[in-house]
Amino acid sequence: MEELNLKNLTSESAASVRGVSKTFRETKILEDINFEVAQGESLVLLGASGSGKTTILRIIAGLEEPDTGQIILHGKDVTELPARERGVGVIFQDYALFPRMTVEKNIGYGLRIRKRSKQEIKDTVNKLIKLIHLEEHCKKYPSQLSGGQRQRVAIARTLAYEPQVLLFDEPFGALDAQTRVRLRREIRALLKEVNVPAIFITHDQEEAIELGDRIAVLNVGRLEQVGTPFEVYNKPETEYVATFLGAANLLSGVVRGQNFEIENINLKLDEETALKNGQAGKLVFRPEDAFLRQPENLTQHYQKLTDGTVEEVNFVGAFERVVVKLNLSNRQTVIVTRPKTETMAFPLVIGQTVPVGLVRFRLVPDNGSKSERSNRAPIISK
Amino acid sequence: MSANISTMRHVRGFDLARPLSVGVMLLVMLPLVLLPLASIFIFGTSKGLQSFWTALTAPEAVFAMELSLVTSFWATVFNVIFGLFAAYVLSRYSFWGRNAVIVTISIPTAIPTAVAGFALLLLWGPYGVLGQFLSPDTQIMFTPYAIIIANIFVTFPLAFGVIMPVFETMSRSLEEASATIGASRWQTFWYVTLPSLRGAIVSGALLTFARAVGEFGSTILVSGNLAGRTQTAPLYIFSKFNEGQVEAANSVAIVLALFSFVIFSILFFARDWFEIE
Repeated sequence: MEELNLKNLTSESAASVRGVSKTFRETKILEDINFEVAQGESLVLLGASGSGKTTILRIIAGLEEPDTGQIILHGKDVTELPARERGVGVIFQDYALFPRMTVEKNIGYGLRIRKRSKQEIKDTVNKLIKLIHLEEHCKKYPSQLSGGQRQRVAIARTLAYEPQVLLFDEPFGALDAQTRVRLRREIRALLKEVNVPAIFITHDQEEAIELGDRIAVLNVGRLEQVGTPFEVYNKPETEYVATFLGAANLLSGVVRGQNFEIENINLKLDEETALKNGQAGKLVFRPEDAFLRQPENLTQHYQKLTDGTVEEVNFVGAFERVVVKLNLSNRQTVIVTRPKTETMAFPLVIGQTVPVGLVRFRLVPDNGSKSERSNRAPIISK
Repeated sequence: MSANISTMRHVRGFDLARPLSVGVMLLVMLPLVLLPLASIFIFGTSKGLQSFWTALTAPEAVFAMELSLVTSFWATVFNVIFGLFAAYVLSRYSFWGRNAVIVTISIPTAIPTAVAGFALLLLWGPYGVLGQFLSPDTQIMFTPYAIIIANIFVTFPLAFGVIMPVFETMSRSLEEASATIGASRWQTFWYVTLPSLRGAIVSGALLTFARAVGEFGSTILVSGNLAGRTQTAPLYIFSKFNEGQVEAANSVAIVLALFSFVIFSILFFARDWFEIE
């Protein structure tokens, strides 16, 4: 009875990771990791190298054991099951195709070891080869395929035994930039077609935004935020998330009632914030959310921050990047990007004084020492 | 196999160094390697193929060659199976003393074969450390089993040395992929690990076999060199030569030389056949 109820409760999520921690030689690799993946959803674990993302993947697959916590797949606790009994599909970074088997044999492997009938194996393999469009390559060996083709074979090989969840380990790491973009879209389409939940791990924020229905940002073994790409990008909850996904400008200050105070500047807080009165925080804004002239005809909500001096103007293709030194005691600079329409109508010259205003910003807690590990200079992505 | 040899050129015009160095090299190699081998064939066939054939088909000669093949065969079987097992264990599990085991396995390569044979005698001989506990009719020494044991002792590092590096360089993700797909350890070994080792197994087996067929130093000590009972082909050559029957010795020598040519050629060319990757 009870088991039945449990099943109903968790039937929503295809995979869940609950309270997983792992320590290796007294170094905490993972600390209390919790997240869920719904049926048909794709979730991206985003983190720098050494953040523990690969370890999470290996724990879900059963290739490594957690110290504490549970892995639940479709309502069943699999924490104690060995990898081969979990029914998880792993697409390894190097694809791990069996070099002495043809494409057909590779794809049929899961069914062959399950002792399925020859006819069934043949039918399934043919269906999958059609799905990944490799009909004319089915007799080839992995070494005769391109990187993208190998990846598709690796995916088909796992789909053959109808996995509970697909795990992708840095799936595009070994490919060139152009192939990467094309394959991302292909995989996205393929996953929607087969409706299998997927977990990707990557360090590439652009990839994360494009692949994930949701993104989980990992920082040295801890989950900082889980949310849709829009949420994680536009409403970062921590400084690390703000700086890891896209470029961000950060200004330190203190919350005073309904205002955020940076030296003698007071910004009105419209959105509610998790920060308490008197707490130190950081103002986060994206380079595209700042505005460098009087807000005439601006339909968006606007608040002036301070004045600044233009230090650099760089042409970077689709937009212009401006470095502005703010009139603050620490002479901090911020980076602002302006679209072509702006640069044509209001050209800027170095040394010019401009008003710096914001159309959108966020507050994140200022954790002092913790910000050290997320000490990254704002970088404008391509 | 296509080595890219670029011709050295430091001087203009005729370079004396080239014909000179090539000449010196040939001058040294000819008497060292090629002439001795050639003389076996020249001498062995000098009295006509008929007498060669008669010498070769003498019952004792046939027995010696058969014994060599059979004992070498079993040593090879053991080396391949246990070499695979040892390499698997040593590359997949880390335990205390792992490196010591690897070094110990390789020691026999550096030990003179006569010392190896002598050591086996001291262990298994009628008065040996363990041999003294065996009853007279279960004695191992001076039987074909002793020859197999000596062969294994001498050749095991060869097979292990070929198989182990392949295990160590094999990508772990292949075996992990097989496990996540649902294969048991045994299935993974059979379908994934073993096929990648084909080349290594073939070379390991051929090396063992070639070395075991020619083994002399340890065999002469542990076998007792009893004609028609424990006399292998190399021992036959040695004994016949000592008895002054050079022709008998020579006929078997030709067969052994041809045999090693064949094994060598297979080793030389087979690697490409087995590496489809």
